Amino acid sequence: MRRRWAWPAAGAAAAAAAALFPLLVARPTWQNAAILMLMTAQLGVAWNVLGGYAGQVSLGHAAFFGTGAYVSTLLSLKLGVSPWLGMLAGGGTASLLALLVGWPCFRLKGHYFAMATIAVGEIVQALVNGWDALGGAVGFTLPLAESGFWGFVWGRSKLPYHYIALSLLLLTLLVNWAVARSRIGYYLRAIKDEPDAARSLGVSLTRYKLYAIAISSFLVATGGTLYAQKELFIDPGSTLSTSLSIKMALVAILGGVGTLGGPVLGAVVLTFIEEASRIVFGGTGRGTDLVVYGLLIVLIAVYQPAGIVGFLRARWPAREAEPRGAGARGEGAT
Amino acid sequence: MTAQLLLQTLLSGVLIGLVYALVAVGLTLIFGVMDIVNFAHGEFLMLGMYASFWGFALWKLDPIFTLPLTALLLFAFGAALYHAVIRRIIDAPMLSQIFTSFGLMILFRGLAQYLWKPDFRSVDHTVVEGKVAFAGLQFGLPQVVAALGAVATTGAVWWFLRRTRLGAALEATAADREAAALMGIDSQKMFALAWGIGAACAGVAGALLSTYYPIFPEVGSSFILIAFVLVALGGFGSVAGAFWAGILVGIVEVLGGFLWDPAYKMVLVLSLYLLVVWLRPQGLMGKA
Amino acid sequence: MPSVSRVFLAVAALCLAAPAAAAEEIKIGVIYPLTGAAASTGLELKNAAQLAADLIDGTDKSLALPLAGSGGLPRLGGAKIKLVFADHQGNPQVGATEAERLITQEKVVALAGCYFSSVTNTASQTAERYGVPFLNGESSSPALTTRGFKWFFRTTPHDELFVQNSFEFLKDLEKKKGVHVKRIAILAENTEFGTGAAKLQESFAKQYGYEIVGKVLYPPKSTQLTSEVQKLKASNPDVVMQSSYLGDAILSMKTYKELGFLPTGLVANDAGFNDSEFLKTMGKDGDFVISREVWALDLAAQKPIIAKANDLLRARHGVNFNGNSARAFTAIFALADAINRAGSTRPEAIQKALRETDIPGDQLIMPWGGIKFDATGQNEKGAGIIVQVQGGKYVTVWPFALASKDVVWPLPAWDKR
Repeated sequence: MRRRWAWPAAGAAAAAAAALFPLLVARPTWQNAAILMLMTAQLGVAWNVLGGYAGQVSLGHAAFFGTGAYVSTLLSLKLGVSPWLGMLAGGGTASLLALLVGWPCFRLKGHYFAMATIAVGEIVQALVNGWDALGGAVGFTLPLAESGFWGFVWGRSKLPYHYIALSLLLLTLLVNWAVARSRIGYYLRAIKDEPDAARSLGVSLTRYKLYAIAISSFLVATGGTLYAQKELFIDPGSTLSTSLSIKMALVAILGGVGTLGGPVLGAVVLTFIEEASRIVFGGTGRGTDLVVYGLLIVLIAVYQPAGIVGFLRARWPAREAEPRGAGARGEGAT
Repeated sequence: MTAQLLLQTLLSGVLIGLVYALVAVGLTLIFGVMDIVNFAHGEFLMLGMYASFWGFALWKLDPIFTLPLTALLLFAFGAALYHAVIRRIIDAPMLSQIFTSFGLMILFRGLAQYLWKPDFRSVDHTVVEGKVAFAGLQFGLPQVVAALGAVATTGAVWWFLRRTRLGAALEATAADREAAALMGIDSQKMFALAWGIGAACAGVAGALLSTYYPIFPEVGSSFILIAFVLVALGGFGSVAGAFWAGILVGIVEVLGGFLWDPAYKMVLVLSLYLLVVWLRPQGLMGKA
Repeated sequence: MPSVSRVFLAVAALCLAAPAAAAEEIKIGVIYPLTGAAASTGLELKNAAQLAADLIDGTDKSLALPLAGSGGLPRLGGAKIKLVFADHQGNPQVGATEAERLITQEKVVALAGCYFSSVTNTASQTAERYGVPFLNGESSSPALTTRGFKWFFRTTPHDELFVQNSFEFLKDLEKKKGVHVKRIAILAENTEFGTGAAKLQESFAKQYGYEIVGKVLYPPKSTQLTSEVQKLKASNPDVVMQSSYLGDAILSMKTYKELGFLPTGLVANDAGFNDSEFLKTMGKDGDFVISREVWALDLAAQKPIIAKANDLLRARHGVNFNGNSARAFTAIFALADAINRAGSTRPEAIQKALRETDIPGDQLIMPWGGIKFDATGQNEKGAGIIVQVQGGKYVTVWPFALASKDVVWPLPAWDKR
């Protein structure tokens, strides 16, 4: 019984901590770090739908993120459409793109699939970079004007961004959870663990993988819209680069692939390492921050290959999971 | 547009393609033996370049003459890296392996900047300066020597794998780790050997490139994507595949860039790659 | 009693002075790319900015600039300037994050940076949100001052002026030397810097009556530039106008030589062509390249403080100023001047002082008419120069009034140098 409730309880505690955080902590830097964590977590969870549950390692998800950012930005700049609608349109466009890409790429397995997605991501970035109607290499700058809810731009206040990011994350988690429990999730796990058996049972591998990539890309694209509205500037380098794709995979791997809360933990830890190493060492200009960041990644990967969730599960298999798990996540949210 | 100009451009593509191939040979060898994609492979190339640079800057040693030394140095580095880090993640899931090598990539770039500053460096004078001209075609001597060196090194690796006992043992481990172990082949040694040779190949490529390409901590990033493409295009684990894919990609990049638009030369290369693996998922010469 | 009240007054004065003493340090946030591909430039900028701050804080009056050697800001009770550096890694989001951290955590009174136009864009937006002055010294994207920001100021001229300079130079050259230039080909890296410059070059070419015979964009840090150079060669231009960062600049020059390509003139757009490493690597092959610039050491012939400032930087870091670092140095002086005149660290006061800035040209190490911001925050007295590599050094060749050497035109053959 206790074990059954430990993780949901920890999750609820973490969500509560995340919701209260900006009210308790006034420092904008910390508030901003929390938003970055939430945004990164959302991307990791969304990536996990395809990478974790279906076992298809995509290193080209930035293409979908960028689609979300570009579609909503274009709609709002050229047609004055609210970014909220742009977010839905961006998600839909990203899903279409994902189906278009996924259909041929799902013929490929393992590393071949991962490489193909890198190629797709790089091609999309190069095309947008050379396409004047899409802003080309210069990108788009959104006007900085406090515009309230429908306009999706706030001046100095961080709270709206925080709660939007949090809501988006919870929504993404919910979708992830629903997918995992549904028939789709069942088949996806079958595909991942026993592809041959699944096929012999008549499961259409490609069809369920396509479901997964459509959902995953939609969710990632909504994160792209949020990014555009928060930073008010998008260009190919910042929204379509392969390093961004890799980061989405990294947070999922770090936290625990194929687990619901794993990417959230991963995002919290990775963002913390990134920000802290840059704040402490970045000003020196000697690359010390990269050394620390790289070293920590290697150490974690070598000594904790199952991710943070794997570590927690191994450490507190049954009884003690409740309080410690909650603590670790609550801390994480700060 | 004359036939001569096209021929000139085509051959330029072959020259750079051969260097790509050498970088990819090391990557595909590591993959073939251990199923690990090494994101830090470009950093071996970077270290090879810096080894050449410091030999030149400190002791006026020509990169071409220090080439065997660079190869040895990188071999030792690759093998040591295997023992220190990679050994621990052999049985980890593919994703953790990607994660590890990605961390190594960032770490090495950071270390290079920490130790040697982020400046662009170059080897100002080498024995390979000037031009080779024939039949109205002209090529830089550094590029020609780099291509020949790459062919020689790739050939040496090929010979080693096919004609020596140690190479045969390596291939046996690649084909079937357990079976090879049963035959008394120490797989740990084979893995370290693969990493050593893989790093040495990239290091030699770096040394050859250092005669004309600028040297900086992030230089690996320019080559790694192409190396990945070659490995997948040629077939993961296939040395011969990587070699031919290198030449093909070099030609497509240079000639395609010339005939169409250089801004999209990588788009061409990547599209070609996608087309090939779509038609032939195991790559040109990979095992199905 | 009088003595008691005097003591009381003295104590009161001390108490009042205490906060002033605490504010003796004035923090300015400076954001540059200190890791990543542009880290070496970022470090140069950092060193130059730090030198400027140290000169203001120190007592060495040998550099004849106002505030230099004044031991802090006189109108703020000799408060010292402290630069707080941050790294943006070339990433716009990181730039915004660091700007916010500097403003809210480090309590900087103003921001400077960020070299990359894309990062200046997002970082200055954060400053705008918080109402903190942002002084940009070295980003050249024209769009930055068209955003209607109230807290953004830029001392450097932007690309529109720079590109126009290149064409004015060609016109002047044709008149002076009786040469004829008609066909221009463009080679540019395809990020924001290169594509932006290429577009401006196309429109100015039309305006000045030149023909664009080829426009070749390439991805930066390419492993080879053979196809690009072959395309240029095929377009048979009189002049190549090139925008490249250092690595590409070196590789392209080597490829020109390898393929025997030689236009009459190579007019570069700063960046990689104006770098000591470029000179060192290219040796003789780098000679006679022409590039737009904002600063050159030989301007010291007319402005001795340039040599003096350069000596100070050399003594400390062993390198000369270049266009980028001289602009970073100047930005800190301009910012210090405004804060000093404001006599306060309140953002509104500094903003007002910046708007009223009017630094005459002779108080700058730049060949500018001075610093005076227009309504958009753009310095309207900035100017560019054209330099040419001669004998392994950058010499000013245009405007002809400032030139220390005559321009060499056309480019001599590769094997006749």
